[in-house]
Amino acid sequence: MLDTAGPMIDSNDPAPVLSIGAVSKKFDSLTVLENCSLDVAEGEIVTLLGPSGCGKTTLLRCIAGFWDADSGGIRIDGRDMGAVPVNRRPVGVVFQSYALFPHMTVVQNVGYALRMLRMPRSAVAERVSTALETVSLTGLEDRYPSQLSGGQQQRVAIARVLVMEPRVLLLDEPFNALDAKLRGSMQVELRQLIKKLGLTSIFVTHDQEEALTMSDRIAVMRAGRIEQAAPPEEIFDRPATAYVADFIGMSNFFSGEAQAGAVLLPDGQSQSTELQGPVKVMIRPHNIRLVDAQDQDWRGTIAFHRPVGPLIEYHVDVAGDQIKVLSMRQQQSQIYADGACVGLQVIDPASCSIYPGAH
Amino acid sequence: MANVSVPAGGAGWGERLVDALLSGRGVWPAVPSIVVLMVMAVIPFAILLSLGFSDIEVARGAIISQTFSLTHLTTALTDPLYWITFQRSLNLALTTTFFCLVFGYPVAYLFLVGGRWTKRIILILTIAPLLTSGIVRTYAWLVILGGRGVVNSTLLSIDLIDQPLRIMNTHWAVLIGMVQIHLPVMILPLIAVMSRHDTRLVEAAENLGASQLATLRTIIFPLSVPGIGTGAALVFTLSYTTFVVPQLLGGGNYLNAATMVYEQVVFSLDWSKGSVSSLILMVTCLIVLVIIALITNRLTRWTRGRDA
Repeated sequence: MLDTAGPMIDSNDPAPVLSIGAVSKKFDSLTVLENCSLDVAEGEIVTLLGPSGCGKTTLLRCIAGFWDADSGGIRIDGRDMGAVPVNRRPVGVVFQSYALFPHMTVVQNVGYALRMLRMPRSAVAERVSTALETVSLTGLEDRYPSQLSGGQQQRVAIARVLVMEPRVLLLDEPFNALDAKLRGSMQVELRQLIKKLGLTSIFVTHDQEEALTMSDRIAVMRAGRIEQAAPPEEIFDRPATAYVADFIGMSNFFSGEAQAGAVLLPDGQSQSTELQGPVKVMIRPHNIRLVDAQDQDWRGTIAFHRPVGPLIEYHVDVAGDQIKVLSMRQQQSQIYADGACVGLQVIDPASCSIYPGAH
Repeated sequence: MANVSVPAGGAGWGERLVDALLSGRGVWPAVPSIVVLMVMAVIPFAILLSLGFSDIEVARGAIISQTFSLTHLTTALTDPLYWITFQRSLNLALTTTFFCLVFGYPVAYLFLVGGRWTKRIILILTIAPLLTSGIVRTYAWLVILGGRGVVNSTLLSIDLIDQPLRIMNTHWAVLIGMVQIHLPVMILPLIAVMSRHDTRLVEAAENLGASQLATLRTIIFPLSVPGIGTGAALVFTLSYTTFVVPQLLGGGNYLNAATMVYEQVVFSLDWSKGSVSSLILMVTCLIVLVIIALITNRLTRWTRGRDA
């Protein structure tokens, strides 16, 4: 057995740093969180992903201690946080639009947590400069937040929580305040930084691109519940529910009937399933290939097409429904024009997801 | 002419005038109020000043000669009565400002942290007194502080005192009235400035380990300094130049700068003296305002954006 004080890299089931157990929260009669459970391992980045109003920010605020859960508990390193007030929790929050103190310089902002601990001045200065180096912000020490760019402000916000060495880092839509161009590079940079520091993190966003870039695991939330918590590839390739399938990436849904352990796909191939009765079949656009119309019963006309980077996206009109298809431009023998008559074929029937559903 | 966007065809001259005033750049929209100010304030004040700096001979109700002279000013500046009166006014105004801040700040803080109903009640209680005239509110204090007033009869009935305290017609009556009447003018700018800031700043401070007291000291208070400056400037100006409160609650023999001007002009009919007193009142008031502005500026360097 491993020494419990040491790193538990080889352990099969290391104790989670953050453990959210069956947390529920109501505002008046409105249920915002319903029985949310989630364990986050040491150094893991978990994203809470969902549309606005799904409860992801509420869950974050419960972890930080700004709000109390009505039932259920939040544990950090096994310690119940229920009775621990906000200012004593080992949690650092990077706020949406950063909430930097406008009347303090960069150094004063970053040193705030240490001054609250009444740490001696020299020690504060030392740790502040280390934190500023970590986020590559040296040279801007005496600026006020209003004199910094959005990206620099984000680094100050991160450095400000880093100095207190939190056990859990909470990030509330940290890229919202940045322009689109900066976002992509900052996402990769921030993920690398968090990974380098080995910080256990919860990251809240409504942007799936961001979630796919930043996370080790994504928890997709819907109406106060966690629908699925899994690594990004799994979320994308094997979405647990139709909602997750619809929310992440592009998808085509078809109604079908499961009989004798199999579902007939629209192109005539079949896919096995344990379900019985009416089902919904989800086929990703990149799992459909366009073929000549005379070779296929499943066919339609191209309603719209556009290049998407190296891909080409088609909308194929099949008996009034628009079906999305993504093909690599180079691999396609020809590019179909709008109005062309084409046949459709599922490339890999095993990759289609099947959910229970009424017609 | 200024760049005036004229609406395409058909509009009457009235509409065009309004449009010009609204869309005109620079000074044009301010022209009506500038005209009013010139006619109603600047010109009369210039006339008043000219009276203070000249010797006037009056015959049969008309000025027959007016020559420049500094005698009124030098007499005033060497007269100990002036010094005593202005010092008293200054003291009263500064004390009032101090107490308004001491009483007003907690109210503004409560507004900041309170719920929806707390906010509403505070706003109503703060604004409601402004709906009645200062004279009415001052008279109310006569009822409260008088020999048989609410305060004295309460204290008598619980045997805390044997005979009525003399509060009316003292410095204390004036101070109590001044603080109450000017309190809203302190609270409103404080609330305006304090609620402008993101509530997440307070959450961020708590998250970084600050207690509620530390948050107040390090975040809320420093950010409210502009509001304190505005409130202090307003309360000081109003109470330094106030006339009604000392006149009514001070019992007619409480002389401050404004009541002195009143007596000089209305009773002594000495317009030159009144003019000089007004000038001193205005200049000293401006000096204090400049000091308040300098202090506020010094404490809010962070508001001056991008000039690193």
